[in-house]
Amino acid sequence: MKVVGARIPRYDGVAHVTGRTTYVDDVRVPGTLWAKALRSPVHHAAVTKLDTSAAESMPGVHAVITWEDVPLLEYGHLSALGIPADEPLLAKDEVRYLGQPIAVVAAESEQLAAAAVAAIDVAFEERPALLDVRAAFDPDAPKIHQWGNWYPHFENEMDRRQIRKGDIDRAFEDADTIVQGVYRPAAIEHAPIETQVCQVVPEPDGRLTIYSCTQALYFSLGVVAAHLQQPLNRFKLVGGTTGGGFGGKVDTATETVTCLLVLKANRPVKWRWTREEEFLCSSTRAPWHMELATAVTRDGWILGQKMLTLHDAGAYARFSPYGLTKHSFHHTGAYSIPHLHFDGYVVFTNRVPTTAMRGFGVTSVSFAVETHMNRIANLLGLDPIEIRLKNANRIGDTSPNGVSYTDPSTVDTLKAIADAIGHELPADYRTMTNEPRSGELLPEHLVAQVGSTEGH
Amino acid sequence: MNLTVNGAACEIDGSALTPLLDVLRDELGVTGPKAGCHQGGCGACTVLVDGEPRRSCLMPAGYAEGAEIVTVEGIGAPEDLAPIQQAFVHYYAAQCGFCTSGMLLAAQAYLARGGSDDHESIQEALAGHVCRCTGYAKIIDAVAAAARGDSFDLTTTAVGKHTTMATGGAE
Repeated sequence: MKVVGARIPRYDGVAHVTGRTTYVDDVRVPGTLWAKALRSPVHHAAVTKLDTSAAESMPGVHAVITWEDVPLLEYGHLSALGIPADEPLLAKDEVRYLGQPIAVVAAESEQLAAAAVAAIDVAFEERPALLDVRAAFDPDAPKIHQWGNWYPHFENEMDRRQIRKGDIDRAFEDADTIVQGVYRPAAIEHAPIETQVCQVVPEPDGRLTIYSCTQALYFSLGVVAAHLQQPLNRFKLVGGTTGGGFGGKVDTATETVTCLLVLKANRPVKWRWTREEEFLCSSTRAPWHMELATAVTRDGWILGQKMLTLHDAGAYARFSPYGLTKHSFHHTGAYSIPHLHFDGYVVFTNRVPTTAMRGFGVTSVSFAVETHMNRIANLLGLDPIEIRLKNANRIGDTSPNGVSYTDPSTVDTLKAIADAIGHELPADYRTMTNEPRSGELLPEHLVAQVGSTEGH
Repeated sequence: MNLTVNGAACEIDGSALTPLLDVLRDELGVTGPKAGCHQGGCGACTVLVDGEPRRSCLMPAGYAEGAEIVTVEGIGAPEDLAPIQQAFVHYYAAQCGFCTSGMLLAAQAYLARGGSDDHESIQEALAGHVCRCTGYAKIIDAVAAAARGDSFDLTTTAVGKHTTMATGGAE
């Protein structure tokens, strides 16, 4: 390995320590207007009135945009993959989460823009809010999404991500005991020190230059162009310098709206969210509800596992179906479990839409699986590292979605952990490798699950 | 209003109540201090006012009149890095870099008052500076190294002409 552990040049290191790195907010464009958004003050409501005329007539206000100004109002973050759109760029006749943007103003100063937002005449008729994924399935739960309370467009229009592997009933019949657990990691705000921000400049040739803090430049380019119904070559994106993202800057939060303001005002516009907006309205890591039931033998073999996952998408789908898919592929953790029954739902609530964050969909299931492994070890009176080593992925074992592992690192990692914490392992565990299972490590229940590594 | 920023005298129009951060960034184009929260919570806007670290987003510009204001741009240029800047480069203490200006100035003030390489004292000096990338360990290591007066060979960590630079303490 040439890079791991080596001291390699950091191309932006000196710029960072001398204040020379140009972040989006450091771009200086004369004549720039400030953007401010009118946001929903409630979790769920009908918008019964929206009149921006008073704001538009204020001196120093150069543009006010609402849903009517967006050429293509709904464009889903996964539209390019054929997944239908569900989220309007600006709220039309209803708001589904607190902080959802309804109208955005561009004015000479931040203060003036805020005053113009306050001058927008808007009225709401509040509706019951759904804030807990478990309640979404109740017969009397508020209906909050045009598709129902959970995402219905997985392959073959299934309403869940489903995995069936092996013979789950037999695993549960053969088990000495069933260990159950419910795990509910909460939402997490990415909280980058740089809040969501972009600066858009109209060029003499009619193109728009977009200074963006996005983590996904070409993705944002496609999203902006789709909403504006213009070809990609109308936009020049300048990015790559991000003041912290952690997944929270994968969604296109500011660029599209700011482009629309620029086109209407014909002036450069900057939209920088406040820290309050960042916490209130920017996407978060999803909360999850995960239920596990694991069929185990007295001596610590995991025969099978049933899992139910409710992935809280918040008010709109965005990337959640993708996140749940990753989640499902990783739902056995680093362990080989031959018989599986997994159902995962992407559930809509009146929370802020959730998105990627550091190991999208996978960290949640790792938390559940590893906590559950300790619970199993405790209940069986087994060593928590030994039970992991016994069930650890090995060459030829197959993942929940049928991929045969060619070089899994679970065994080495667990041994390194034991070493690091001074945990003495018995000799037969100390000498374990990731070589294909055989002998005592290939019990009858695992024989059928070991796949061929050929072709990988 | 007259401000001295990184040794240069600047005449400022406008209200003495404007936050110093906005004057620095928007009127003077000194963009090293960052607007992370605009409410004194994150530390990214920190500057030195007569050697003391101050949150420029909370300080009315008029309060800094007559004082020496130093931003990250004023402690060392790319071709002449201050020891604390070298230490940050050496230890990869800046990841996204957005909190770095404030961290560096708090660290600079800590070193100027004779701070040691004791990790707890460094943590206290940097308390209230939020970093979401590094987990702080590398930052604390960098400040400790600068406090010890370590020399840094930046041959492999900083590209360009910042290859072998003379350093602080050891020389």
